[in-house]
Amino acid sequence: MISRENFPSLGIGVGLRRVHYGWVLENRPRIDWFEIISENFMAPGGRPLEVLEAVRENYPIAMHGVSMSIGSTDPLRREYLARLKETARRFEPAWISDHLCWTGVGGRNLHDLLPLPYTEEAVRHVARRVREVQDFLERPILLENVSSYMAYRISRMSEWEFLAAVAEEADCGILLDINNIFVSAFNHGFDAHAYIDGVPLGRVMQFHLAGHSEHGAYLLDTHDHPVRDEVWALYEYALRRFGRVAALVEWDDNIPDFPVLAETAERAREIEEKLLGERGVNDAVQAEGIAKPALPPDNRA
Amino acid sequence: MRSKLKELQSLLYRLITAPEGVAQGLERETALPAGGLGGIIAGDERLSALARVEIYANMYFYRILDALKEDFPATLAVIGADNFHNLITDYIAAHPPTHYSINEAGRSLAGFVREHPLGRAHPFLADLAALEWAVIESFHARDASALDADAMRQIAPERWPALRLATHPAVRLLALAHRVERVLAAVERNEEWSPPAREPSPTLVWRNRSMVFYRVLEAPEFEALDAAHSGATFAEICGRFAAAATAGDAASEINRNLSRWLGDGLLILGGA
Repeated sequence: MISRENFPSLGIGVGLRRVHYGWVLENRPRIDWFEIISENFMAPGGRPLEVLEAVRENYPIAMHGVSMSIGSTDPLRREYLARLKETARRFEPAWISDHLCWTGVGGRNLHDLLPLPYTEEAVRHVARRVREVQDFLERPILLENVSSYMAYRISRMSEWEFLAAVAEEADCGILLDINNIFVSAFNHGFDAHAYIDGVPLGRVMQFHLAGHSEHGAYLLDTHDHPVRDEVWALYEYALRRFGRVAALVEWDDNIPDFPVLAETAERAREIEEKLLGERGVNDAVQAEGIAKPALPPDNRA
Repeated sequence: MRSKLKELQSLLYRLITAPEGVAQGLERETALPAGGLGGIIAGDERLSALARVEIYANMYFYRILDALKEDFPATLAVIGADNFHNLITDYIAAHPPTHYSINEAGRSLAGFVREHPLGRAHPFLADLAALEWAVIESFHARDASALDADAMRQIAPERWPALRLATHPAVRLLALAHRVERVLAAVERNEEWSPPAREPSPTLVWRNRSMVFYRVLEAPEFEALDAAHSGATFAEICGRFAAAATAGDAASEINRNLSRWLGDGLLILGGA
């Protein structure tokens, strides 16, 4: 069974984005780790791969995908998974994550993260596919909760019950996006704290923190603003429940200079230290331990 | 269940990608349950079911539009934001994305522009889009160890004629009919551009130390590189220069071009 011992907290990281490549390589900022968008590094060559080689020399990374489409009714794309596995073999990420969603159907890609109906049947459908992916990649994956703007009449459980059920049945980890919980809670009128309370303790291996935009009747997960105070408050709430978990600041549009991201990461660190104390030697050693070597290929029992 | 989920996903796909909008897309649906879209998607007093699906429809379009604006900045500059918006509306209806990477969304744009009214209004536009796409392809192309002058010097001269060469995977050769490289260069430098001359413009795109470059070639150089691209021998490549020059000129042309190609990292060793 998946265990948090195999997913040590990497500390507080930021998403590696193209506009910051030069700055990061030149300045080697004091950031614990970087998360990459997997698909941006799955091309066969070019500058992104060179940059990542150099970044990887100095930092742990995690690979975060947007196109696995784990909830689609299309067959899993073997070519995609093979490329993902090859990229992971080359860059040795601490873990691989993607989203609990579908991104296309009929061989077409919407390049968006669409929610699934929360039904027993959908749990079985997704869990079966997650197991297939984990077998293929020879490692467990994390699934992230998405922001959503629509809900299905046929849903028979809450989103967090669905997330928990998929994670349990597939034996995978959870990347809990705190901003997405806040956005979806607003859009669908549920209680964000109840969501956090409903997520199984032992499966959350990473948090996401990001900004969103307000559109009157709804919030949009745009990653183009600073993290809102309400989301920081939810982060505190999540830390109290889950303890020290790797956290990652995402910023994908109107991207500020790197020091602003670093300040945001620093704020996350201050909150974590305020609630849980400073990172201990063991944490540091654990994180250091996966700075280069890969995790065991398969952590499942 | 699986087919039911597939039906649900297929319906949403059709609505989200309906070129004229979700409401019009809905009118074409004949098998909706009682309650229409509201019987499938939960709406409330803040946002109707339709408005909720429209959020996804807008995100679908604008995400691809933004990606293509980044990949085709000169095409955008030439026709302006409104025309580009309309072009992409037509384009993604005809070529909806299928690849897992959004970086591939523009693969068919140049060909599409060639047949589009905007392409006919701006006869150089398709060439420009083709050049921009070649730059993108070159940027992401596979890495390979390029031949340099030292590597060539280590090959015994008597082996050169039969030496089989190939172009680096990041090399693209485009037989364009307009000097669109001047438009792209002007847009990249934030300068005024002017409509390019219509003249044969054999254009080379290549990558060197992660940077992508482009230049228009003389016909013999284009043909020689094209021969290398097809896996010709060094003797065959030289033959392309010889056909276009006197013997003395050909030798100096070959030397001059080979030196530049090696410096730019255009060549790799070909197969046996």
